[in-house]
Amino acid sequence: MTEPRDDSLMNRFDRFGLRRFRARDAVTSVLLAAALLVLFEGHSVLKAGDQMNPGPGRSLVLAVGRPSSWIAGRLPLASVAHTATAWLNPEPNLSGPGGFSNGGALAGSGQIPPVSPAAFAPETIGEKPPARQALHTLLVTGDSMSQPLDSDLAQRLVGGGTRVIQDPHIGTGISTTFVVDWGKLSVAQVKAYHPQAIVVFIGANDGFPMPGPSSHEVPCCNAEWAAIYAGRVRQIANTYRQAGAAHVYWLTLPTPREAARARIARVVNAAITVGTEPWASQVRVIDTVPIFTPGFVYRDSMDIGGTQTIVRQADGIHLNEAGSSLLATTVLETLKQHFTY
Amino acid sequence: MLFPTIQFAIFFPIVLGLSWALMPRPRLWKPFILIASYIFYASASWRFCFLLAGVTLGNQLAAVLLHRTEDERHRRLIVATAVALDLGVLGIFKYYSFFVQQWTNVLGHVGLGSPVPLLTIALPVGISFFTFQAISYVVDVKRRQVEPAGMLDFAVYLSFFPHLVAGPIVRAREFLPQLAKPRNPNRVAVGSGLSLIALGVVKKVVLADFLARALVDPVFAVPQAYGAPDVLLAAYGYTAQIYCDFSGYTDMAIGLALLLGYVFPQNFRSPYRATGFRDFWRRWHMTLSRFLRDDLYIPLGGSRGGRLLTYRNLMITMMLGGLWHGAAWPFVLWGAFHGLGLVTEHALGGRLKLPGWLRWLVTFHLIVFGWILFRSTSLDAFDTFLSRLTVPGAATLWTAPVLAAILVVIGLQLLPPRPLERLQARVECLRPAVLGSGLAVVIAFAGATVSSQGVPPFIYFRF
Repeated sequence: MTEPRDDSLMNRFDRFGLRRFRARDAVTSVLLAAALLVLFEGHSVLKAGDQMNPGPGRSLVLAVGRPSSWIAGRLPLASVAHTATAWLNPEPNLSGPGGFSNGGALAGSGQIPPVSPAAFAPETIGEKPPARQALHTLLVTGDSMSQPLDSDLAQRLVGGGTRVIQDPHIGTGISTTFVVDWGKLSVAQVKAYHPQAIVVFIGANDGFPMPGPSSHEVPCCNAEWAAIYAGRVRQIANTYRQAGAAHVYWLTLPTPREAARARIARVVNAAITVGTEPWASQVRVIDTVPIFTPGFVYRDSMDIGGTQTIVRQADGIHLNEAGSSLLATTVLETLKQHFTY
Repeated sequence: MLFPTIQFAIFFPIVLGLSWALMPRPRLWKPFILIASYIFYASASWRFCFLLAGVTLGNQLAAVLLHRTEDERHRRLIVATAVALDLGVLGIFKYYSFFVQQWTNVLGHVGLGSPVPLLTIALPVGISFFTFQAISYVVDVKRRQVEPAGMLDFAVYLSFFPHLVAGPIVRAREFLPQLAKPRNPNRVAVGSGLSLIALGVVKKVVLADFLARALVDPVFAVPQAYGAPDVLLAAYGYTAQIYCDFSGYTDMAIGLALLLGYVFPQNFRSPYRATGFRDFWRRWHMTLSRFLRDDLYIPLGGSRGGRLLTYRNLMITMMLGGLWHGAAWPFVLWGAFHGLGLVTEHALGGRLKLPGWLRWLVTFHLIVFGWILFRSTSLDAFDTFLSRLTVPGAATLWTAPVLAAILVVIGLQLLPPRPLERLQARVECLRPAVLGSGLAVVIAFAGATVSSQGVPPFIYFRF
């Protein structure tokens, strides 16, 4: 075997006495760093575990996270670390109102829910739609599904004087309050931007258990879970519609490739439909299933303008540029019913 | 499993401790590190472990056959088959959708349907890196620069988790000799390893992700919404971001390998100091540059066939290098742009005498221009971005932290390297307890800058 040519500076660590340490030093210094992080950031380990999808990885992180969080909770160091680093946090402060309550508050109260006139879209009862307004502020939000749809909408609207706010929260979901509580987030968004129209595309990360009526965890995806999810959708939609001052366009999930995810997507879509029902005139559901996956059958490509075109990303979940562009056209057509732009 | 995540922070100390415990017994250490690497890879998708194992088996078979065959014709055939299989794997997983979509578009224009199905295929993480390493191994065996390794050694070489998903592309002749005998537990560059990990975390989590969030992503998503000052700043911002993102990953990979006792080649050497394209490629993604040089440019004929053939070889090499980064036209054109730069330099042959600072200035801005192409999702997006460079507007994104981040990243590369190296060496010679505590502090502060969305994947994970 020939000696390697050192054209990549393989010997660069042989200078300055950099190799004077022992393997034991490597192990102890890494363990020291890990121990300090447990003492100062122990809660983060548990939080990270909560955010992970079920599996051996999550079990391992939770197994480490529970004692780490317990230790961190008994020492003042975590609050010191939090105080020292809080100014670096890029997240908006979501300490305000609007957080999700337990599903029990929403389910089975025994009363007949009232029906308001907002439940009827004008065209369903043969009424003339109200005059269209100029669209000044559009908020496009959701999880990673809202990308690159948000950019597409922004590119098409930016010349016409519409301010498009792109506010994706990747990795979040309506069932995952431990990442972001969308109840609080929607309140903060409305307060910050006062949008006239809101496009919501979320649900790719959902399927996590949610607390039920008696605070017990309700696993995905039975009717009870769907009811809690629909209740949360309703709460968010109500926030976004701003008592009728804004229009909401809620997009359902195109069926994903993987069967387990497809099952969740179907329940999420059903919950979106139920959750938005009370305000059909202000909250429109744009159903992506007939467009991209008719009959809930996944497909990578479809006919666009006479050419077979790939519309999904390789992960089988998200839409690619072409798919997003097609969806943006659909969203803009729906927006046109209420706005000029 | 990304490096800067809790999962990896649990995984690595366990592997590190067991690795050094088993190091004196290679018969135990090698299977152990192989299993650890496959667990690491399986955390992205367990299905692709079979692909990695298949590539390992196929290339090892080729290497063994090469070793047993003296007939040069047979040897060429074996190499060609192995390389074709590797490129076939890469082609199917990485380029199938791209090429079939282009073909379908062409057929659609003449009113014909596509004869092959249009599918999206999940991209296995790191496929571009481990297929290239496999190719480099087989080619090195063919050139008799290395002897075929044992099956276990080759499997460890290909799957060793610090370099598995995004490089650096380690040559077989650099890594296999290190596997030949256990690493010396009394000569470990612990300080360098810990410092590189801390530096990588800062580059990736603090600088790259901040620049992406605050400047680059919003502007590249909708350049129409911004005037020239913001668009220009975003171009410089991406220049800084991509360096921090990729070199940050590399720093962590090299640091982790050092703690395990292994040395990887250097992958970056102040690339924005370059005063020419050739100089740039000696400083940027150096392990890819030398792979392209040794395994593509030179086999194509290099500069041996006269001026025009040299230019042809440079263009082919750089365009394929561009395509290696992703199945999209902007990458191909980015490669062609760098190819043109190299051809121009070659043609000028030093006849154009410019002062050093001017050569740097021109080179740097050509590199920045190339990055605009590289970052654009389509040629239309590239065109829109460029057109906004002439539209006056307010400097809405010129904030102090953004400017500071860009200036630090680019400015530090322009400082004389020697004093910086000495300073770095002094830090790396500190007591391990100090460095371990420092790493914890860096991780805690860097972690505080992470949004609820977590650490975004490294840019080069897509490649």
